[in-house]
Amino acid sequence: MFERFTRDARQAVKLAQANARRLNHHFIGSEHVLLGLLDQPQTVSARVLARHGLDHERAYRAVFGMIPPMGSDRIDADALETIGIDLSAIREKVEAAFGPGALDRPPQRDHRGRTVSGRHIPFTPPAKKALELSLREAIALRHNHIADGHILLGILRAGPGPARRILSEIDVDLETLRQELVAELG
Amino acid sequence: MSDTAQLASDASSRDPAVGLRAVRALRMLVDRLEALQVENAREQGWSWQEIAYCLEVSRQAVHKKYAGGRGLLRREK
Repeated sequence: MFERFTRDARQAVKLAQANARRLNHHFIGSEHVLLGLLDQPQTVSARVLARHGLDHERAYRAVFGMIPPMGSDRIDADALETIGIDLSAIREKVEAAFGPGALDRPPQRDHRGRTVSGRHIPFTPPAKKALELSLREAIALRHNHIADGHILLGILRAGPGPARRILSEIDVDLETLRQELVAELG
Repeated sequence: MSDTAQLASDASSRDPAVGLRAVRALRMLVDRLEALQVENAREQGWSWQEIAYCLEVSRQAVHKKYAGGRGLLRREK
């Protein structure tokens, strides 16, 4: 199925994984796929959502609020202060670049103590379903490729979940959003 | 300066327990910053060689430490 994905669609899937990792989530759900779409602001899906006030930052905060990062060891701020390092100042700058919680995520290590930041993170069944539905959406529209917009249609079609919850909080009903996407996809 | 820090610099600056605890915290901070930056560099298409050059370590060292990727989305090379 992935061979039919456009470059932007593939990139969205990669970015979904990057977002899940950044959030220290050990799975890729449709909410991460949504973040992957929004992470490329120039694409059809991101532009349609931006029109209704949803950008990557807003969605990222929503996902961060809904699903907290998995267990993390805290960096010892007091100990750093004894050598004159203000962890809160560092945290502020790092989070400005990499999002909330970026410093709270311990690097994942394998049994040999190697960092496995590039490790495989599995898709949840709803996320897989959303990707499969993107193919069906493309077929229904008689398109022979799957673009980022089809993925968003797939997410909309896939039913309730964190991604849908984020989308239903914006100022547009999901059916209108769907129609706008279909129009943009041509 | 907080009370903790004041205390440390007044009385315990040569206290190994304080000093070593600070080193450990600093190492944890550096580890996380490095992981974030390496990951970011890879996402932006940097090669292991380029990353290694910036970190002044060997390509093998950085690759061994961070390249755990496999499966569908792994970047080629």
